[in-house]
Amino acid sequence: MSGRRRFLSKAIDPLIALLLGAGYVWLLLSTVKNLGYARDEGFYFQAAKSYGAWFDLLTTHPRQALEQITVDRYWSANHEHPALMKSLFALSHKYLYRHWHWFPEEGTSMRFAGMVVSSLAVSTTYLWGQKAIGRLGGLVAAVLLAMMPRVFFHSHLDCFDMPVAAMWLVTTYAYWRSLEHGGWAWPIATGILYGLLLDTKHNSWLLPFALIAHLVITRGGKLWRDLRAGRIPVPSALFAMATIGPAVFYMGWPWIWHDTGKRLAAYVAFHMGHVYYNMEFLGHTYWKPPMPLGYPWLMTLATVPGITLLLFGVGLVASLLYAYGGKLGELGRRIGIEPHARDPRRYSNDVLWALSILISYAPWLSHHTPIFGGTKHWITAYPFMCLFAARGFSLTLDRLRALGRARFGPGFVRTRATEVVLGASVLAAPIAITLHSHPWGLSAYTPLVGGAPGAATLGLNRTFWGYTTGAEAGYLDQHVPRNGSLFLHDTAMQSWDMLRADGRVRSDIRPTLNIEASGTALYHHEPHMERVEYQVWVDYGTDAPVHMGVYDGVPVIWIFARPLPAGGGG
Amino acid sequence: MIPGAELWQARPRCLPRAISGWPCPFCLAELAGHFYFAGRAPRLSDWQAQKTTLAGLKRHGELVVVAPHWADPLARLAFGRGLLPMRDEARPDDTAYRRAIEVGILGQHAPELSGWRTVEEKHVGRFLYRVLDNPAPAKVLYDFVDHVDPGHADAYQQQGTTRRTCPWNAHARRSDGGLAGHVAFPSRRFECGRRDSMFVGVTIIDDQDYRPRRCIWAHPPAGGPTVVVFRNVPVGRTVHGYGGLSWLLTRDGAGTPIELTVKIDGQSIGRVVHRDQQGWKGFDLPAGAHAGHTADVQFEVRSDNPDQRDFCFYADTR
Repeated sequence: MSGRRRFLSKAIDPLIALLLGAGYVWLLLSTVKNLGYARDEGFYFQAAKSYGAWFDLLTTHPRQALEQITVDRYWSANHEHPALMKSLFALSHKYLYRHWHWFPEEGTSMRFAGMVVSSLAVSTTYLWGQKAIGRLGGLVAAVLLAMMPRVFFHSHLDCFDMPVAAMWLVTTYAYWRSLEHGGWAWPIATGILYGLLLDTKHNSWLLPFALIAHLVITRGGKLWRDLRAGRIPVPSALFAMATIGPAVFYMGWPWIWHDTGKRLAAYVAFHMGHVYYNMEFLGHTYWKPPMPLGYPWLMTLATVPGITLLLFGVGLVASLLYAYGGKLGELGRRIGIEPHARDPRRYSNDVLWALSILISYAPWLSHHTPIFGGTKHWITAYPFMCLFAARGFSLTLDRLRALGRARFGPGFVRTRATEVVLGASVLAAPIAITLHSHPWGLSAYTPLVGGAPGAATLGLNRTFWGYTTGAEAGYLDQHVPRNGSLFLHDTAMQSWDMLRADGRVRSDIRPTLNIEASGTALYHHEPHMERVEYQVWVDYGTDAPVHMGVYDGVPVIWIFARPLPAGGGG
Repeated sequence: MIPGAELWQARPRCLPRAISGWPCPFCLAELAGHFYFAGRAPRLSDWQAQKTTLAGLKRHGELVVVAPHWADPLARLAFGRGLLPMRDEARPDDTAYRRAIEVGILGQHAPELSGWRTVEEKHVGRFLYRVLDNPAPAKVLYDFVDHVDPGHADAYQQQGTTRRTCPWNAHARRSDGGLAGHVAFPSRRFECGRRDSMFVGVTIIDDQDYRPRRCIWAHPPAGGPTVVVFRNVPVGRTVHGYGGLSWLLTRDGAGTPIELTVKIDGQSIGRVVHRDQQGWKGFDLPAGAHAGHTADVQFEVRSDNPDQRDFCFYADTR
């Protein structure tokens, strides 16, 4: 093989991964305009601006910037979450908006950092799928991930949920590569990536449980024998995660540079004792324990495209039978499983995927884990589900080829045609469902529960975070009177400010959180928030909205206008 | 072979047979299902086109119920408050309606009308209209919530031997507490003190299903009751009613119980003790010898610890 061909063959998959990631960023950017700013985004905008001001100070007055009083002043904003993503939002805003003017909108410049990190998940899913299953399998896995409605929604935001899924995946991938290749490069990379993961969101605390369980399961008796012989066979990547990881985490979060122990304890305490918000599930609003144990499973079924789940199931069962079916003996033979030797590489790979899924869902095995965040809280599992789905896809493809060959002879089913047809048919529904879900991402449900109308009838959460204001910006611009006052309801004031700064709503509209001071009122529907709608009814003297944001026939956000007093003109 | 599929090839030979064939038809079924469900529910314009049909069916005093309930806001926008008035939307229950028109979509029916007799059904596009008769409608003689005004009622607070009259204000300062705050305080009310919440007036609270309930707000003071007296009320056999507090604020059940005493011409006909976790809870108090007469009916609301006892009640005579 010539050097050029060798280079091409080595570069092709990273190049495909890069193109997938870049393509996803392009898709996110091209659909960002009518996606309003979510409640939490408003808080992160505010924090990122504060951190951005500190970065400015760091370049002009570094000594002053590093003093505790200065660090605390700028980094106390939103200190219940670590700093990596907000720092990236800040830097993206500083350079891509303020300095280089790549983006005409502040909000999009901040979201861009989230989009890029989220897209890493798509690229890495491809790379891992390609290595474990093949190029087509990698492609299918990556597109299935990108085309999950909730993944698509969260990937737009300047939040941490898709970024933490991406960072978990990238760290786990580096860990897997370190086991495959040995040496020091991958372990060190794993340590650094774990530090960044720690600095992204607290889901990161769970990853070591998955990796240690993986070590115990895959090494089994050998691990025990090593320990009895006085050897501690810890993979170098785990060692790096325990040493480099915390150092990177510490360096990346100035808030914990001072009073470190106290502030870390407060960070942990905040999330271990998180306040319970409300969440509707099967017609009941949960707001305190016991939380329903069926929540994550049903919500996964209801929001992840069915074909993705089906292929995931096929891939998982196949992997389980592959891993353990050989031990079934006569029973196995009866169901067509011959005793076989297990490839330790594939076994290790599959166990790592499975554990990442299990650990991501594990907190919801407790009645005490809040469910308010919906699917985003176990979104770290989704890339691994897509990788198993790619296994299922590959298996199905293989089966179709065998069927075709058996029926029509070896030349009938052309390999590429089968791949293209099956690939297209597998991806068609996820693509259609996901693109159709925009910009109502949190209201979208799959056909398995009857789509959005079926979910509404079942009593599944319609929306949260007040982001759908963005979808109704056009109506507000046309109908709110000049200098009129608008009750924002669940949209955070900071999110509205960003809509206004970006020119997405008229600048003369005066936002308010007081119904009585408003002439127009928004209402974002959640059952426990209906009391706010009733306040509008009484205050405005009408229960009839004047406009509604509707997704597939289901009302999501509605708008009230205060009726003019009798005899009032205009 | 798929490039790089060497790990995959290690699978046992017969394994795929049972599990690998059926994703193929599922792909297309899901796609078809997506388009079907996405277009299944009527759009806002479909609802708006139904206004004349509903207006032709509905007679004065009849109730309109939308099924499923989540479509109710669409109906309110499309039909307007003339056909779906706030009074009906926030009704205490359905017992007083002789007839209801159910506007149903997606094959859904309103569970609250399940015992009613269907007298007419009409399909119009994707809508099913059902006209239903209440098998045992109650005849309401007097709805107290409709009469909270100085022409029909007085309010005062009794603290020990001191009686403090609550003057009527038709232009009081409206206020709303938002998600975690108090319910809407209306502009027309009897004002019973300096604190905004000390008044008697009509508002809407959220019940245990977060549904609206129109009721008379009567916050008790410390050391005595808030009293509302309705004059010259035609009394039926019972005083029928409900009591409750805004569910979101009181669902943890930590509040002190509230007592509602009903008197006719100064004579007590019953006392209801309300606890937070009971939600919107009904009562029926027999009027006894007062039935069939015109009398003054008095409601007294008290609590041992009146802090945040934002009590609201509905009552009628029937």
